[in-house]
Formats: sequence, structure tokens, C-alpha cells
Amino acid sequence: MTAVMTQAAALPLAHTEHVMGTTVSFTVLAGDLPVPAARAAVQRACAVLHEADAVFSTWDPRSPVSRLRRGEATLAMMPADVAEVLALCRLAKAASRGWFDPWALPGGVDPTGLVKGWAVQRAADVLRQAGAAAALVNGGGDLAAFGAPAAGQRWRAGIRHPWRPDALACIVAVRAAVATSGSYERGAHLIDPATGRPAGGVASATVTGPSLALADALATALAAGGDQALAAVGLVAGYEGYLIRADGSEADTGGVEFVS
Amino acid sequence: MKTAQTKTARLKQVPLLVITGAVAGFGGVIGLPSRAPAPRIGAAGPAAATEPATGSSRAAQPGASSPAAPTGGRARSATGPVENFGYGSIAVRITVVGNRITAVTVPVLNPLEPQSQLICEQAIPILRSEVLSAQSVQINGVSGASYTSEGYVKSLQAALDTLHLQ
Repeated sequence: MTAVMTQAAALPLAHTEHVMGTTVSFTVLAGDLPVPAARAAVQRACAVLHEADAVFSTWDPRSPVSRLRRGEATLAMMPADVAEVLALCRLAKAASRGWFDPWALPGGVDPTGLVKGWAVQRAADVLRQAGAAAALVNGGGDLAAFGAPAAGQRWRAGIRHPWRPDALACIVAVRAAVATSGSYERGAHLIDPATGRPAGGVASATVTGPSLALADALATALAAGGDQALAAVGLVAGYEGYLIRADGSEADTGGVEFVS
Repeated sequence: MKTAQTKTARLKQVPLLVITGAVAGFGGVIGLPSRAPAPRIGAAGPAAATEPATGSSRAAQPGASSPAAPTGGRARSATGPVENFGYGSIAVRITVVGNRITAVTVPVLNPLEPQSQLICEQAIPILRSEVLSAQSVQINGVSGASYTSEGYVKSLQAALDTLHLQ
């Protein structure tokens, strides 16, 4: 899509890609990596996103995962990424004490609540492995980052306010990943797996941690399970949760790095 | 051992006038010149940013370009084409002064169903905030989903192209 290249190496390379039903934006500090190589790495990262979309889309009835869900294909017939994602889903289900459960709903396994974070994390990993000094990849509100935006600085993410659209709830420092789910979203992943009904009581759920795949799934769990899920998130090494309840009160696991 | 703790002070409802954060990714979308430090958002930005986004299908003219602010004489506006985004259709209108976006509004929003309406009401102002705040420097991104972003960005880009910002 649109790429704006800057002349000076110190300025970030920016790119946006429309994929997975959302907009993914890249901010890349190439560092010692030549700009053409950084640009090529961004293209490879975008290819990773499109491939994930093609494999995991539950909207496209022809996608491998859609065929798996309908029982028209077995796991053994799936691309290797499917087994990896389902393994991560099992991990996330256990870590969240069942509040994230891609197997809870009728219609077959639905890893959607983890896949976007997993794919965006892989895109960020491509840039890191290519040798970029720093990058922030924002996949429709789920962020994966590495490095520093400038010497001595950290990536900062505004957490959108659940019902004040012209405001942010807070700002957090991002070491690696931050994901936010909220009742303003929709989709099967915000169904309470215990009741099969839309989740209630939670206005916004944010999880930070070392990988966006698990952070995305745990944010989904937190949106569904509220305070009970928050306790589970707090026990996952490296991950922290921040919850805004429907009544506007808040809770967190104690380790979220609030900036303001 | 971490313990869940309850706070009431964190939810500050930080106004974007104070935050004026940068969403660097949108810098790519909207193609703003990034060579010079961007000025902080002026009075026109946040004021316009709080306009309600719930209007449906008013008489927008996709691609139309017109002078918007008699005072100063340099403000220009353009409305992008109506774009489908999966749950409905949307068009975005921008106002610029020089190369700086001072307002982003949504003159056309046709959700397919009531729940989409709710999502749009909450998501679109966030997108607008990101575009406006992309011109300053304190945050690097906004966490929180918005399904409408694709159509929004397409229409926005077309509006920018109309104004020859790129």
C-alpha cells in the first residue's frame, strides 16, 4: 500500500498494509540496516500477514481453517502454521484458566482471538531478524515492538478509552507487545465460554507481555472473564493485565508500566 | 507474587489536547511530511475532533474540494469517496491548513445493522484521533480494535490525494 520513505536514516520508515480485515501499520528504524533492505524486510513481513490471513480466515469459506472447521479437512492436511497456532491456543486456554477457549463455541475451533496477535508478532520478528534496529507494528490496535524509538526512549501506546472516543484511558510503555480487547469489538471471541453469551462487565481489557500471540489471547480472556481472568493473567510469567470494568473502575496485575 | 489491585485514579480520560500523541503508522497513510518537527495540534484540531460521528448519509460529495475557512483563506477541505468496510460504508472528510490536517469528520456512515452502528460510533472517533494526533510526538500507537479502519483509511487517503498533500 502506501509507503513513505524518509531521506535521513534516523527517521523511521513507515508503511501501512490492509490485511486481515484491518490496517496494519509499520514504523521501522532501520539502524545499520540499509534502507532498501529494511524496505524488503517490510515487504516480507507483509507477506507473512497475508499468508496468515489466507490460512486462518474464518470469513473466507475456502481457507484451510474454514475447511478444518467444517470437518472437510484434518489437521494433518493443514499448513504447519495451523498446528503451531492451535498449540498456542491450548497454551493460552490453560494460562487463562479457560477464559480463552477457541473450542467452546459451536462451528468448530476458532483461533481468531489469537491469530491476529500471532501474525503481527511474526511480522515484527521478520523485521528483527532482518537486522532492523527497532520497529513498532500496529495490527489494528494490537502492537508488537522491539528496540527503542529513539535513544533512551521506549515505545508508548495509548490505550483507547472505552467510552470517551476523544480520549485515551492511559498510556503504557511497550517493551514487546500490548493487546486490547473491549466490548466495542464484536466477534465470537468475546463470547463468555462459560455461558455462551456475550461477555459483560468488562469495558476494556489490555494485556502486555513478551509475545503478542499470547497477549492477544489473554486480552480476549480478560475481556470475557473480568476479575477472575485478571487473576489468571497475573500468574502468567512476563504478562500483565489492565482491566476497565463496565462501571469505570479499574484493576491491574501490578506490573503494567503506566507512563502517565 | 503479583496481586490484583483496584485503582480509581488511572482512568483519567486524558484529553487528546494534552496527549497530542503520534501514531507513526498513520504518518505513512496520510503521507505527512516528516522532515520537520510537526507543530502541536492547534485549536482547530481537537475541537473538530470531538464532533459526533454518527451522522448517516448526509449529502457528501465524494472527491469535492472546497474552501472551508474564510478566515486565513488557506484552509481547504475534501471528502473521500464512500468506501465499504465490511459492516457498512463510510466516507471521510478532511480539512487542511497548509500541509497540516486540522479536522477529520465522517459525513457518510451507513452501518449494515444496529450493532455495527455502535461499533462505528466508538471506533471512528479513535481513528480520527489517530489521524490528528499523528502530527505530534508523544505516543507511537493506540491499542484497541477498530473494524472500520480499512474503509476509513481508503476514503481518507483519497481525500488527501484530492488535496495533493502527497
